[in-house]
Amino acid sequence: MDPMEALVAQIQGLSSTPGDIARLHIILKQADDSLRAESTRLSPVLGQLAPSEHSLGFLYVLDAFTSGQISKQQAETSVPIITGFINACNAEQIRLAPEKFVLVCKRLKDQVMMLEAPIRGVGPLLTAARKLQLSTEHLTPLHSDFLMLCVLAKCYKTGLSILEDDIFEVDQPRDLFLYCYYGGMICIGLKRFQKALDLLHNVVTAPMSTLNAIAVEAYKKYILVSLIHHGQWQLSTSLPKYASSVAQRSLKNFCQPYIELANSYGTEKIAELEAYVQTNTEKFENDNNLGLVKQVVLSMYKRNIQRLTQTYLTLSLQDIANTVQLNSPKEAEMHVLQMIQDGEIYATINQRDGMVRFLEDPEQYKTCEMIENIDSSIQRIMALSRKLSAMDEQISCDQLYLSKVGRERQRYDFDDFDVPTKFNI
Amino acid sequence: MDADDETFAPITDEVGTNGGDEQRSRRPIISGDHLDIEAYASLYSGRTKIMRLLFIADHSSDEKVGNPSMNLEALRMAYDEIKKGENTQLMREVAQKINGRLGPSYELDSAWCDAVDHRAEQKKEKLDNELNAYRTNLIKESIRMGYNDFGDFYYAHGQLGDAFKSYVRTRDYCTTSKHIVHMCMSVILVSIEMGQFTHVTSYVNKAEQAPDALDSITIAKLRCAAGLANLEAKKYKLAARKFLETNPELGSHYSEVIAPQDVATYGGLCALATFDRTELKSKVIDNLNFRNFLELVPEVRELINDFYSSHYASCLEYLGNLKANLLLDIHLHDHVETLYDQIRHKALIQYTLPFLSVDLSMMANAFKTTVAELQKELEALITDNQIQARIDSHNKILYARHADQRNATFQRVLETGREFDRDVRSMLLRSNLVKHDYNVRQFRKL
Amino acid sequence: MDLSRVRELLESKSYDKVADICDNLMLQVASDGIAYHDDWPYSIHLLAHIYVHDINSARFLWKSIPSSVKESQPEVTAVWKIGQRLWLRDYAEVHEAIRGYEWSQDLQGLVAAFSELYTKKMFQLLLSAYSTISIQDTASFLGMNEDDATNYVLQHGWTVDPASQMFTVKKQPIVTEQKLDPSKLQRLTEYVFHLEH
Repeated sequence: MDPMEALVAQIQGLSSTPGDIARLHIILKQADDSLRAESTRLSPVLGQLAPSEHSLGFLYVLDAFTSGQISKQQAETSVPIITGFINACNAEQIRLAPEKFVLVCKRLKDQVMMLEAPIRGVGPLLTAARKLQLSTEHLTPLHSDFLMLCVLAKCYKTGLSILEDDIFEVDQPRDLFLYCYYGGMICIGLKRFQKALDLLHNVVTAPMSTLNAIAVEAYKKYILVSLIHHGQWQLSTSLPKYASSVAQRSLKNFCQPYIELANSYGTEKIAELEAYVQTNTEKFENDNNLGLVKQVVLSMYKRNIQRLTQTYLTLSLQDIANTVQLNSPKEAEMHVLQMIQDGEIYATINQRDGMVRFLEDPEQYKTCEMIENIDSSIQRIMALSRKLSAMDEQISCDQLYLSKVGRERQRYDFDDFDVPTKFNI
Repeated sequence: MDADDETFAPITDEVGTNGGDEQRSRRPIISGDHLDIEAYASLYSGRTKIMRLLFIADHSSDEKVGNPSMNLEALRMAYDEIKKGENTQLMREVAQKINGRLGPSYELDSAWCDAVDHRAEQKKEKLDNELNAYRTNLIKESIRMGYNDFGDFYYAHGQLGDAFKSYVRTRDYCTTSKHIVHMCMSVILVSIEMGQFTHVTSYVNKAEQAPDALDSITIAKLRCAAGLANLEAKKYKLAARKFLETNPELGSHYSEVIAPQDVATYGGLCALATFDRTELKSKVIDNLNFRNFLELVPEVRELINDFYSSHYASCLEYLGNLKANLLLDIHLHDHVETLYDQIRHKALIQYTLPFLSVDLSMMANAFKTTVAELQKELEALITDNQIQARIDSHNKILYARHADQRNATFQRVLETGREFDRDVRSMLLRSNLVKHDYNVRQFRKL
Repeated sequence: MDLSRVRELLESKSYDKVADICDNLMLQVASDGIAYHDDWPYSIHLLAHIYVHDINSARFLWKSIPSSVKESQPEVTAVWKIGQRLWLRDYAEVHEAIRGYEWSQDLQGLVAAFSELYTKKMFQLLLSAYSTISIQDTASFLGMNEDDATNYVLQHGWTVDPASQMFTVKKQPIVTEQKLDPSKLQRLTEYVFHLEH
């Protein structure tokens, strides 16, 4: 019998019980090299297998089939095969060979990029990531590829679905860097600035021994989004002490125009800020950040109006226009109106007198909705605390950790290794 | 609460006429435009007299303060004073500054300089020989006096650094408390002249720790020195305390450093800028000791009383009139603007404090300013959270703002929760990365 | 390409669900390798995003539409004009953009529903943001002529001052549910217990 036919038969025969599949896996591993050698004639073999039943075998054959360099035309035939497999495959089976599955999915990504149709990979990669991950806390290597395709295909909202999960388990740090960076871009696009800040914050504070380009680009965006969302950014407080020393030392050297922008923002003078942006337009444009920089400038009007609400009970539209450097009372009225619409200030405009009356936040923290909100916060935080304690326990039983600590024990008292009680709830 | 009501009573009583009053009898305020330099200089002796005159000469050419006749007047007096001493360096400086503008009798007297320098050479040689002899004989007290003489010698000739070292050296040969205190006082004097106020503070402390009780005049001197050091360090509240503790027996005993008038001015202004109402009352106005000082500078006494009784316009007017002279003061010069700003802010804050609402035009009247300007000042203070109020710019009324504790607490709690959430999540993530990194390294080692 | 689900939603006037369905369908169609661009109901998809006020998604969708489609389907461009006005907060111009095109049969229902929704939203905005406002501005915000606008707001209890041509806005009391479900109280008690032990 042709060895290929024999393999097909084995795949077909050994794909039902876990025991069989384990045996099949050993066979497949041994057959891997010969499969690759045959990669050009595997197309009919795939036809004999059912991707949903013979998922592991299908995966090995598909990997060998797609391993070579392919042309654009070949991609047209290969993309639907991979897509079909991803949609149909059995999650438990493919998780036995996660590296292979990732490899195949990454080829799909490369091929849809080659075809200049990133949108064709969005749906399949989301499915693939969901099938591969053990829980929603698990970051797979496919997450970042999926998000990148979302950005390229402009399916920002689809990308959000995966960003809403809390990620704790990471296989490769690089996956996390890219996931957070693309995730940050998606959240910025959808104006979810707090979420974007959280993601970018993870990049710049992640442990790292050498500086990487992702961290630098993330830091630039972090500065800009901080200005838009919080209206301030300070070099001294931007990186907490747990950030890696390389980040603390050298990130700032790569982001000088952004730091100066933040300083200029701090003066609260719109004209100065605009002049600075004007003279540095090219730098921001080269970084693809000009759009964000423009939002920074716009946010200063808002910030200055918000400041007025802290000081004034009523103020004329003319005075507002003068203070925040807008051209006319009408322009000031439109700014105030937009901010009321967005819930950024509480105020009423009196057109007859040309006055604005600033009001206090009407939230009284009495509604059922608010109680619900508080309740869910408490639940969330309690769950987090439990996770923290579990993690603490896990680390204190970790062999590597203990052996490291053990070596240093002479130098410390026992108490030094107690976990800070700060986070115990 | 009763006490509070009482303290605030005058404010409410006079709010209508506050500051804008024409009926209130007004004592003539001594105009600060022309400082009587001669009277001023007569309060001081020694090097500080010369330095203060030179300071006036330098700063009277400022646009804000100056007139040229003051400049020459101060230089002439400085010249006369220098000639009485032995500092040829200062003589050369002052002659250069006069630059012949005061006629032949105020030109550089080279013969005098040469003679003084010559005598100094001889004296130094003599002191040197004496000190060497004492040292070979190991007579402690004589060595101490030898160094002390050297200190005096250097000080007189303007070599402050050497003087400082010589005085400090006497320390090892001090045998009594009196010696230590003497040493400290000398070091303090030189340090003040050098502008080294950290030394001043540490030697004031040393002197105060001397085992034997100090006489009241020495204590007063130490208070003044400490006050000056705190003033220079911009610790105005501490400075105020030190000056307020100074015993009036000080009189003119410390004229080589400070005049009692200065104690009143420095102490009064620092207190006004930093004390709250109750402190102002108990530590300044009811302070019998300090009242003696204040009598010497009635303007300061009046402006403090005006401030306390909420006659802000009058208070600010006194301050305005004093400003030119204060800017000519060697120690206060750098601090006038800051202290004035703080006093004005405090006045504004205090004015608004007892009210639920304040009519801005009345308040502007009380502070002798326009409503628009006042609004700007208030805006800055509100932004800085120094006044809890908001401005009704339409009706020109300031309304006190009472934060809703319950809402504020809810807001803070939710915010803290969000922060905790974020921090813990990113911490868990980081610890996973650290673990990963560690595992990888361990793996490589194997 | 099976768009029956979209048609169903449009017919049953469940306009708020259209955007999500379109998003998912488009991903599916794309991953199946179908050349969908020329046949895709972009105008419906775009307007559905606008209808649920997801201007960001509308904007990104517009960016992803091939220029050939934008050229050959003027209705798509006309829909985006509405989105663009919303994006730029040209409140009154939105009405102009709605009126400025002869909408096809497919779109008429959705456009009319959006127009009505938008007018209501604008009224709510005026209600919350103004204490007095000119008749002229009210009319342009609501996309009506001055007489219709006057009638509209007078029905809601506003008053008009003919001399100044100004409306005085009548605020509506905001009703919120404040009654506490006893189970919530029970939960909070448990938390406190949890914290103390």
